[in-house]
Amino acid sequence: MSTRTSVTGSIQQAISRLQAVASPSTEREREQRRIALLSLPFFLLAIFAGFVPLITMGRMSLSADRLSNEGWSTEAWQTLATDPTYWWIGFNTLWFAAAATLVSVAVGVAITHALEKYSLPGERLIVAAVSFPIALPGIVVAFMVIVLLGRQGLLTQTVAVFSGRSAIDLATATTIGGLFLGYVYSLVPRATMILRGTYAEINTDAEEAARSLGANSFETFRNVTLPEIRPGIVAACILVFRSALAIFGTVLILQGGLVVVTLRLDRELSVGFNSQMAGAIGIVYVAFLIGFTFLGLKFVDTNRVEV
Amino acid sequence: MATDQSPSEPEPFETGRIPLSTLFGRPVVIGVLLLSLAVLVVPIVMTFVSSFAESATGALPTGFVTLEHWRKVLGLGDYGVRTNALPGLTFSVAIATAGMVLNVIIGVPIAYALSRYDFYADDWVNTFAILPLVPGIILGIAFLRTYPENAGSAFGLIVGYCLLKSPYMVLTVQSSFQSMDLQQLEESARSLGASWPRTFLTVIIPHAKQGILAGSIITWTLAAAEFNFTYMVHTGDPEPFSMFLFRNISNAPYLQSAAAISIYFLIVVAAILVLQGVGNSGFTTVQER
Repeated sequence: MSTRTSVTGSIQQAISRLQAVASPSTEREREQRRIALLSLPFFLLAIFAGFVPLITMGRMSLSADRLSNEGWSTEAWQTLATDPTYWWIGFNTLWFAAAATLVSVAVGVAITHALEKYSLPGERLIVAAVSFPIALPGIVVAFMVIVLLGRQGLLTQTVAVFSGRSAIDLATATTIGGLFLGYVYSLVPRATMILRGTYAEINTDAEEAARSLGANSFETFRNVTLPEIRPGIVAACILVFRSALAIFGTVLILQGGLVVVTLRLDRELSVGFNSQMAGAIGIVYVAFLIGFTFLGLKFVDTNRVEV
Repeated sequence: MATDQSPSEPEPFETGRIPLSTLFGRPVVIGVLLLSLAVLVVPIVMTFVSSFAESATGALPTGFVTLEHWRKVLGLGDYGVRTNALPGLTFSVAIATAGMVLNVIIGVPIAYALSRYDFYADDWVNTFAILPLVPGIILGIAFLRTYPENAGSAFGLIVGYCLLKSPYMVLTVQSSFQSMDLQQLEESARSLGASWPRTFLTVIIPHAKQGILAGSIITWTLAAAEFNFTYMVHTGDPEPFSMFLFRNISNAPYLQSAAAISIYFLIVVAAILVLQGVGNSGFTTVQER
């Protein structure tokens, strides 16, 4: 009885709040209506282009039929939980993305440091050049790797000329090394652009004080600059890692002997259209991505997020 | 890792022994910068230059200048219409433009709501609005099952691109709003008699026009060659530009692929030049003034 009244009570409360938003009478209620109206277009898109498809994909993973969502079967989830192949794919994806992230963020720190702390000529041009690859889709990044490391690649041919070995033996574009270069190629620009925002906010007084008190440049970096940019580095690692997990076009072209989650998703569909399995992998992937992002961003200020 | 921290002026009081870190730190950091720049830029320049070469059997392309590969990918002269970039490029440009307009409609209001007001769970909303919720390939798979008839249609592509690229719009516009006192701006307009909708449309939006313009260019450029989502949902007719690129990269001769990709490079260079004109230093959401 008491639960029923509390339920009716909260429903009435919700209805009256909706009424207040629809026909506000105070300035506070009008502000709430504005917020609701301003957010509405985005939420409509997010619901119909984001949440509904994701829920449908979850249903797809439990479907008994391959071609449409009919009947129920947990076979795909059982395979996913028990088949070690999938565990290895998850492991491969994670370590490869993590390694590429660490290298990219480290390189990004060096680039940002040089741009912000040394007065270099042509800084604007350097920033434009470093940001250029952000616009490139993964397949074009793969071509860039082929230009450097493929059979006709610049580095391959140069080494072949000097060592006298066959360029075909030397080409590394389609090995795991080439794939790693492809990942780093996509991620260094993103890492650099995120870190630039952090560097711009550093209080340079503390650095100057450290220098005038006799600290050398490395000590100043380690004890003064690094603690200031640490939140930015953490944010960069989280965002760059997310980008690394989503890389697909580069892997599709280069292959590289490494099956990552995105490539496996494509294979599940292109070989035998195993849609239930693809749905299950997709759900795990998205759940991991969202969980990881919210957990990670708990430790950093979202104002640092830039792309 | 960067190991150097050095102001622009030379060591002031250090006489005698110069610390190792000063001696090596700066050259190492500059070295990393130059090496990264080389790795990032050389393949782009090489690709563009090769697209004008007659042959590429050695380390460097030879036989300049020929426009044959460009003619081929642009479908000029004797080459068939079916294999060239123009139909796909036209289609993708139209789709990207529609996605961009949709992005302005959904992105600017939520960016304003998040910058101007405090409300329940606004940090969650912020995270969802500024981070890509789903990777393109997974959204593509989900679209195929949810909208089997329309996933690869023009409408499906527009909606998909819009959702995938919306964070760039929201971030750029927010970056623009951050430098303004929104509350004061809004209250001044209201106290002069403007209604709230009028304030938003004729005062707030014009103030953010640089950010909106920058966000539009970024979302447009990224959508024009979006691959992962397109690859999953496209039906092939008309063939989107990124599929044309994919077909060239995986099958065509090296120099023809170079010409196909160079078309997109020209688009990106144009985008960066316009972005610099509206206050972004490059292809990023960060607005600098």
